[in-house]
Amino acid sequence: MSNAPAEQTPTEEIDLAAANHIIDKYLTLHGNLMPVLQGIQDEYGYVPKPTIDLVAERLNVYPSQIFGVLTFYAQFHLKPRGRYIIRVCVGTACHVQGASRIVETFFDKLHIGHAETSPDLRYTFEKVACLGACGMAPLAMVNDATYGSMTVQKVEQIIADYNQRPMKK
Amino acid sequence: MVNLTIDDKQVTVPKDATIYDAAKAAGIRIPILCHDKKLHPFGGCRMCLVEVEQMKGRQIPACTTPVTEGMIVRTSTPDIIQARKMVLELLLLKHPIDCPVCDAAGDCDLQNLTYEYKVNANRFTDEKFQHKIDYENPLIERDMNRCIHCGKCARICDEIVSYGAYSFLNRGLEAKIGTEFDGPLNCEFCGSCVSVCPVGALLSRPFKFKARWWALSKTKTVCSYCGTGCQLTLGIKDGKVLTTIYDENQGFHNGQLCTRGRWGYQFVNSDKRLTTPLIRKNGKLVQASWEEALSAVKERLFSAKTAGGESAACLVTPRLTNEELFVLKKLFNVALGSQNIDHSAGYAHNALSAGALESLGYAASPSTIADIQKTNLLLVVKSDAYETHPVLGFEINLGVKRKGVDLRVVSDKRGKLSRLPDATTYVHKPGSEVLLFNAMARVIIGENLVDAGASSISGLAELKNSLQGYAPEKVAEACGMSADEIIVLARDYAKAEKALIMLPLGLGYPGHGKDLAQALINLALLTGKIGKEGCGVLIMGEKNNSQGAVDMGVYPAKGGKDAVAILDGCAAGTVKTLYVVGENPVVSYPNRKAVEAALDKVEFLIVQDLFLTETAEKAHVVLPACSFAEKDGTFTSVGKVIQRVNRAIAPVGLSRSDFEILNALYAACANTQPYADVAAVFAEISENVPAYKGISYAGLGENGVIWPAGGTPRFVPAEGGAVQGESGKYALLTGSALNHCGTLSRFGEGPMYVCPAGYAELSYTDASALKVKNDDLLTLKSASGEVRLKAKVSARMPQGVIFAPYHFGEESVNTLTTGAPVTWVNVSK
Repeated sequence: MSNAPAEQTPTEEIDLAAANHIIDKYLTLHGNLMPVLQGIQDEYGYVPKPTIDLVAERLNVYPSQIFGVLTFYAQFHLKPRGRYIIRVCVGTACHVQGASRIVETFFDKLHIGHAETSPDLRYTFEKVACLGACGMAPLAMVNDATYGSMTVQKVEQIIADYNQRPMKK
Repeated sequence: MVNLTIDDKQVTVPKDATIYDAAKAAGIRIPILCHDKKLHPFGGCRMCLVEVEQMKGRQIPACTTPVTEGMIVRTSTPDIIQARKMVLELLLLKHPIDCPVCDAAGDCDLQNLTYEYKVNANRFTDEKFQHKIDYENPLIERDMNRCIHCGKCARICDEIVSYGAYSFLNRGLEAKIGTEFDGPLNCEFCGSCVSVCPVGALLSRPFKFKARWWALSKTKTVCSYCGTGCQLTLGIKDGKVLTTIYDENQGFHNGQLCTRGRWGYQFVNSDKRLTTPLIRKNGKLVQASWEEALSAVKERLFSAKTAGGESAACLVTPRLTNEELFVLKKLFNVALGSQNIDHSAGYAHNALSAGALESLGYAASPSTIADIQKTNLLLVVKSDAYETHPVLGFEINLGVKRKGVDLRVVSDKRGKLSRLPDATTYVHKPGSEVLLFNAMARVIIGENLVDAGASSISGLAELKNSLQGYAPEKVAEACGMSADEIIVLARDYAKAEKALIMLPLGLGYPGHGKDLAQALINLALLTGKIGKEGCGVLIMGEKNNSQGAVDMGVYPAKGGKDAVAILDGCAAGTVKTLYVVGENPVVSYPNRKAVEAALDKVEFLIVQDLFLTETAEKAHVVLPACSFAEKDGTFTSVGKVIQRVNRAIAPVGLSRSDFEILNALYAACANTQPYADVAAVFAEISENVPAYKGISYAGLGENGVIWPAGGTPRFVPAEGGAVQGESGKYALLTGSALNHCGTLSRFGEGPMYVCPAGYAELSYTDASALKVKNDDLLTLKSASGEVRLKAKVSARMPQGVIFAPYHFGEESVNTLTTGAPVTWVNVSK
């Protein structure tokens, strides 16, 4: 409400109805910022800028503080994420079992690096420290599905499989 | 109270004190970096570590640890000193030690502590930060590489300013202070963050590379913008005011300043200042000597005097000191025999000079600034109170957030105050304030919420009669509020143990006059809320000495002409000599066309000002005056505080202080000796102005004196009518922009960087109906004129209402207005 120039109109065009619905749900709860942001992330796959402005306005929290929370927790993402999140474990057990070759194969095939998202928003690729299933090393996960004893051939199969899957949830 | 021992000294402190507070009270200094007396304890920097015997020698932070009975504290054991050295070593690991080019050098807590603890080597090594420096705004440079993560900037912006520009971003080693989306800073630019930054991470850009800290000399004085009366410390070098210096122990506001107070000082040394007198020759203003200019002025004044004085008139700014106003009034009333003297367009002082005077028996607020934080319920008339008096806005923020004050904003638009925790904003139709407050008074009477003491105040019966027509159900529609809202507000106000009303005045608020002030005073009198701590009505004069101008009686009496009549007289030819001291009626008085016509018509126009203003351009003689930094005297601020203004620099160019000029003219016209100095005038003021009785110039001290108010209050019915809208037109409200005050701030670079021109603020609904976006040009047309302003679309405006600040000379909104509280305008793209 200052006399500083008004915020520029958001460049991202997104439907705020769902975000409004999430805020409605938690509006009266004390300490509602985290569940609201988690809800928005679940809904949109990331936390889009217009929703931050909306949350700031409706919950009466400074946008800077919301941004502080979002950048503090690793669970929040500020950029669109792929429909399918591929995680490859590079923890000790997986490393010993050749995880680096699995990682490189994904890089080659998907043309994206660590923590990057493909331009068609189908894939996001992440190296992670441990997925907690060292007996199945080397290990990869796509969303909630686990793939153990990974090989280069299996990488190609997984990609071919997920290329066929739908983009809509 | 709690007793404890610090470094073998016995200390007794209140039980909510921390070890740091207790040590401070005992005169023991504990080093701090992240602690600030104005902010909640943070405990981030670990510089204030102390040992407490009962805690088995553990090192604990003094700033966050409350005292307990019998505590034995040691503040500087060898272990503690070692620990503090380590803290400094770790901070210096990331801090670029670029002190030779850092403006904070000399005023840097980290530098001073490094020196004090003799940290001349570092046992660790690490890479420095590589953050991009934010040069995007013209006032605050943010070099996060120098930041030591004390968080003071983020905390002051949240706790006191309530803007929330900063937050800690990221985590662990990558943590830093940043803005939303890590973008450039875009805020109110009050500079509070710069004032508390312990290092050079946040710097004042206008002061950058201007002077080393130790080369500045300092003068304490009072800010010359709004009526709040904030104390300032000016930093001076080579006869120039280079910066304002933060002093956390200064004034009621603890050194806290707003955007214009902190960055608006540049007008003092502006190259646009008038440096010589000017005289109109062959239609053009040309430089002249003081002798020539003053003799021309004297000649005119003498001939006016001979003619009986009535042909001379004066419009003066309430920015002058009390002493100057007193001498000016004497020049007109005594020396010339003219009662034609007025200020602030005649209406911006009416709430005090007519409203309060009639209702309370004295022309001032019954309350003081300290009442804001002591009250239970705060009723603010117009959210603009934040824009007109930003530092009082900080007091409101603190009251609401720290003291749990119940804030009710009654306003024709929403504002920053509306966003405070649990604040309630009642948005009413423009111009319906008096109706609304009369309706509240009626509810209070109808529901028997009247205080027992009210029956002894005269005029109660008349008031009751006058309120017959103001039943909430009847006026609800005209107010744009529901009857229930009015009833609940009235009940809450009446039932609150302590309640304070705040009413800002100003040239931009023609509706805030006698009737509104009286309607509010009636409310306070009815409920017994005058004369008690945390209660009353705080009437906030617009300019630095608005209260003083009223105290000095600089408004027409004994049949003299008021501002409107003076200008009408100029147009009609009855006023032949007009002396304008510091006012800029062409821009700030309503109906620009009529004002300009009157000034063009008047036979002889004398303008005394710092700058060649739009009004000065029309003058026959222009006298260059001095700014507040070049003079001594007193200002009286909101809440009746008389404070000393101290001269910091010599007059710029050949300019002379208003006191010097007026003193000479008075002596010549009255054929008497001039006053010896400012103190002599103050002595005469304290003899002649009853409120100032017994107050001496020397006795004002650093914090000034609140003059005691006393009078017999009475109920005076206030007239309020519904404002008739005109179909298809928008309601134009004028007022103050946050960065500006009057027309003076246009000559300060800081405010002009942030808000360089006027704008028309309108709601999203209206914007989409008119198909306009931000910065599109809008044409506003009223019965008296037309201007084109940039659109500013905002969520705070109700539909059908447009707000425009009044400070600017180009496309000035006074082209549209004629002094009515609401101006109806056609708007097109």
